Amino acid sequence: MTEIVPDIVLYIAFAFLMTAMIITLARLLKGPSINDRIAAMDLIASIIMGVILVYSVLINNSMYFDVPVIISLISFIGTIAVSTYLTQKNG
Amino acid sequence: MDKLIISILILLGSFFILVAAIGILRFKDLYGRLHATTKATSFGILLLLIGVSLYFNVFQVYMKALLIILFVYLTAPLAAHSIAKSFSPKGEKSEDTKENT
Repeated sequence: MTEIVPDIVLYIAFAFLMTAMIITLARLLKGPSINDRIAAMDLIASIIMGVILVYSVLINNSMYFDVPVIISLISFIGTIAVSTYLTQKNG
Repeated sequence: MDKLIISILILLGSFFILVAAIGILRFKDLYGRLHATTKATSFGILLLLIGVSLYFNVFQVYMKALLIILFVYLTAPLAAHSIAKSFSPKGEKSEDTKENT
């Protein structure tokens, strides 16, 4: 009853998410403008939310479900703060 | 049957986040990248949350999943709009003069 999802599914999901993380880190390092870097940071926050959700299934503990709530809040605040700063700096 | 639905939902959610990451690498300009990363990421998070909350099957987990879905779908377009509004296309065409801005 504890293992209703096979582990190979979770490992494939981890592989997808880690590939997405590496690709997004490449865009974060080489992005031409700073706006691309903000978009990449927003995507990294979402990828970390997905990693924590899959990990909570892997270790079968629903306590980890609180973490994506906080990550979505913090990510939105950070994105709005940096882009508002850039808007006021440019014009 | 339950196992099959949860597995498909988790795999599809991870796959859509991977599609968003490929889109942010392959598109040419900032608007295409925002188009890729906003919608596909929201949909992937939605599918992952539905799958994980079906796995745990507790009322509090359903409520938290509903809260996260509502918040992500409210704030992802706002964040993309704010990034696109702070973008000045003059600075991207000439990449050699970008250092002093």
